[in-house]
Amino acid sequence: MITDRQPRSFLEPAVLSRLAGVPLLARKSMVGNVSGRHTSPHRGSSVEFAEYRKYVPGDDLRRLDWRAFGRSDRFYVKEYEADTNLRLCFVLDTSGSMNFSAEGRLSKIDYARRICAALGYLASQQGDAVGISCVADGIVKTLPPRRSPAHLRLAFDILEEAKPAGPTRLPEVLHELAETIRQRALVVIVSDLFVDPAVLASSFGHLRFRHHDVAVFHLLDPLEIGFKFQRPTRFLDMEGGGSIFADPVDIADRYHQAVNRYLEAMKKVALESGIDYGRVLTDESYEQVLARFLVGRAAGSGLR
Amino acid sequence: MTFLQPLMLAALPLVSLPLIIHLINQRRFQTVQWAAMMFLLSARAMSRGYSRLRNWLIMAMRMLAVAAVIFAIGRPLSRGWLALAGGARPDTAIVVLDRSPSMQQRSAAAADTKLETGRRQLVESLATLGASRCVLITDPAVKPLELAGPAALADLPAAGPAAVPADLPLLLQSAYDYVKENAAGSTEIWICSDQRSNDWAPENGAWGGIRDAFAKLPQQVRFQLLSFREPAEGNVAVRVTDTKLEKRGELRGLVVTVAATRQEDGERVVLPVTFEIGGVASTVQLELTGREAVLKNHVIPLDRAAGSRGWGKVSIPADANIADNEFFFVFDEPVARKTVVVAEDPAARRWLTLLAEIPPEKDQRSAAEAVAPDAFVTTPLTETALVLWQGPLPAGRDAEALTAFLDRGGQVVFFPPDVPTETTFAGLTWRSWANHPQPVKPVSWRTDQDLLSNTLAGGALPVGEVQVFRSCEFTGDHVPLASLPGAAPLLARVADAAGGVYVCTTTPNGRDSALASEGVVLYAIVQRAIDRGAGMLGKSRQLDAGPAAEVLTAKGVDWTRLAGPADALSTEIGRHAGVFAADDRLVAVNRPAEEDAGRIAADDRIDGLFRDLSYTRLTGTAGSTDSLVQEIWRAFLIAMVLALIAEGLLCLPKSAGAERSPFEGLRPVEAAA
Repeated sequence: MITDRQPRSFLEPAVLSRLAGVPLLARKSMVGNVSGRHTSPHRGSSVEFAEYRKYVPGDDLRRLDWRAFGRSDRFYVKEYEADTNLRLCFVLDTSGSMNFSAEGRLSKIDYARRICAALGYLASQQGDAVGISCVADGIVKTLPPRRSPAHLRLAFDILEEAKPAGPTRLPEVLHELAETIRQRALVVIVSDLFVDPAVLASSFGHLRFRHHDVAVFHLLDPLEIGFKFQRPTRFLDMEGGGSIFADPVDIADRYHQAVNRYLEAMKKVALESGIDYGRVLTDESYEQVLARFLVGRAAGSGLR
Repeated sequence: MTFLQPLMLAALPLVSLPLIIHLINQRRFQTVQWAAMMFLLSARAMSRGYSRLRNWLIMAMRMLAVAAVIFAIGRPLSRGWLALAGGARPDTAIVVLDRSPSMQQRSAAAADTKLETGRRQLVESLATLGASRCVLITDPAVKPLELAGPAALADLPAAGPAAVPADLPLLLQSAYDYVKENAAGSTEIWICSDQRSNDWAPENGAWGGIRDAFAKLPQQVRFQLLSFREPAEGNVAVRVTDTKLEKRGELRGLVVTVAATRQEDGERVVLPVTFEIGGVASTVQLELTGREAVLKNHVIPLDRAAGSRGWGKVSIPADANIADNEFFFVFDEPVARKTVVVAEDPAARRWLTLLAEIPPEKDQRSAAEAVAPDAFVTTPLTETALVLWQGPLPAGRDAEALTAFLDRGGQVVFFPPDVPTETTFAGLTWRSWANHPQPVKPVSWRTDQDLLSNTLAGGALPVGEVQVFRSCEFTGDHVPLASLPGAAPLLARVADAAGGVYVCTTTPNGRDSALASEGVVLYAIVQRAIDRGAGMLGKSRQLDAGPAAEVLTAKGVDWTRLAGPADALSTEIGRHAGVFAADDRLVAVNRPAEEDAGRIAADDRIDGLFRDLSYTRLTGTAGSTDSLVQEIWRAFLIAMVLALIAEGLLCLPKSAGAERSPFEGLRPVEAAA
């Protein structure tokens, strides 16, 4: 049990206890260094029989199947599935746009903190290693995955200290992370993904190429979708760009058209890249979002 | 468009109010921190297309609504939907009224005639427009009548029905003269007519001149044609084409030929034709199947005690137009067709006498008396219809006698003397003979009227075959009836002579022309002149209403109306149908024959007469109670409501589906793998 002296605004024990019933599972086999809840590509010592293999000198004689030898006069070794732990790497978008909130809702960064913290806690509880990378114009801060509870506290500190600022260069950062995360890992990206979907597709492809299991929480504020403004408005870019003056009555149609086009493209990229992609509106309870996420993964886990 | 409250139009700049509000709204912007700039940039890069059009339409609808309210408060007047582009209140309104019999047509459902409806609508319109001066023109021979106000038009006898066709070119010429002389300001000429081609004469060459004259006027002149062009359904016109007294022993009878005509083919109708002579009426059934039915030589026995002269009336039951349902006629003993030939050239005298002596019909009597020029003054002319004069023009007592003869309605044809003299008669002077090296033939002649008109069968006289070897020039105002090459006249009518004075520029002598050898043309000239003279000199005459009946207005003779409309003004005696008596003379006045046959001229033909002028045609219906000019503020209020509804519809979001679409599929976290 983690004992964290500092109260964290993004950690809600009641939510965590409700979510604890569903395990966080990887959809792909993971290469861990200790025993865990996730399938491994290697044979191991679990109770689940995997296959027979011919004995070769050097094999442990304790794993020789004497009954098989009695029946066939040949030496066979019984092999069992190996269960291991996973490396959970959060990629948290801390660009300026994540600071957006409207109508009293949580800002996207706050929402992202809650998702990361809850998932991190659940992973740590089941013995998985948790790491985090805050990205914006580049990798702002990074913490490699470790299994210890103290390490989780460090991750929470990073989450707490993350300050949204600057432009997004998510595709480039993802390419970099794909190369730097050493072993197979579950990479959870929490971002508003305000980049060209086509560019993003190559980043996802790179992560998949490196055998990472990629999950994406695509955070959007309802106002960004609905664009419900009544008066002419000057829009200031939160990522440091210029400003745009527009009459919402005049531009709303085309704005909606652009949003639709973008969302369609993003969906297509997700399907083609084979990532676990989910759109999240920030007016929805993050507990429900995580519950759906965990249940969905549990259904598709166990692949080797 | 005219407004009763034109000052309210000063508020028209308020139309820009929506635009100003829009601009102010643009300045009251808010500033927000925005994350999804990429969508805004994409939206701005897209073509605005329909969105921009919609914005403009919304703005236009708002401005239209404001404009409609301002116009409605200004109390606009409509002059028929076609005339919304009209102008302001005129200074002078000239009413040109077609009072012809065809304007007395009624529609099946209404009691008012076209003329009554037109007058009422004109009164209402002119009262609403409030022109400072109203002028009525109904007859080119009468000075335009300035009215005290538009209401006077309603009960003015001079604007009532008449039997005279309306000569629209002359009426408009009168209107032009009035506008020019009185230097009226902006003028509106209201023409009320039923577009009959016999009234309008669209082929008349005078139209071009009238159009040019109006176009050159410095003041603004607008024409409003109130057209009642609906055809007369089932209308039948009755007319007496011939009357003849017949004696068989002691019995006397009147042989009458009656024609009933209608404009269009229709069902078979049996018309009861009623003859009324001396208070005794008799009825005959006449079957009409096509367009015309003729009751030929119907004999009506006459009372023995009655004299040989009398009058009667033919009538048929009332139909769409009551003005052509009766026809007056007079009858008398036939007049002797006497001609006096005064000729210095024996050959000419012989030919002229011979041609005048041959009657055109076997039961007619014709006589010709050849007298020497110096014996003319002693020749009695009381029963003479025609004088054929070949020689120096009369002077002195001869001239006086001939003038008196002409004043009575006699006809004279002058042929040139062997040696032209300086004598002048009726403005006419012979000049000199012109010998033609080659015989010349007439190149043009009037086939529509006067002495050289086409025959009753429609064929042309062989005027073009007549060879002329020499002709004598003359001076004086004249109307050419036949012209030789080079525009020199062969036959002409002297203008402004009281009776009919004709001039032939050559003689029947074979030395001068082939008039005698090609006798048909000269015979037609002589006999037609005799006919005209006899018709004028007879004691009973049948006249067409209009200029031909002006003899009734001659001074010194007091005509009594025996029959005809009682409400007709005595000053308009020749313009109404009826029978009139003075001394021992009887005259029946009726509508001219062309009134019965007149077709309705096509709209584009009439419109073409006013091309390049400010002109509007309003179509009226007999008996219609609608006003030509009416307040139309309601239409503007409706326009405002429609504009607001359109604005509301345009402001609605495109569709509910489009509103939802951005959220579609967002709620569930989709598993892509």
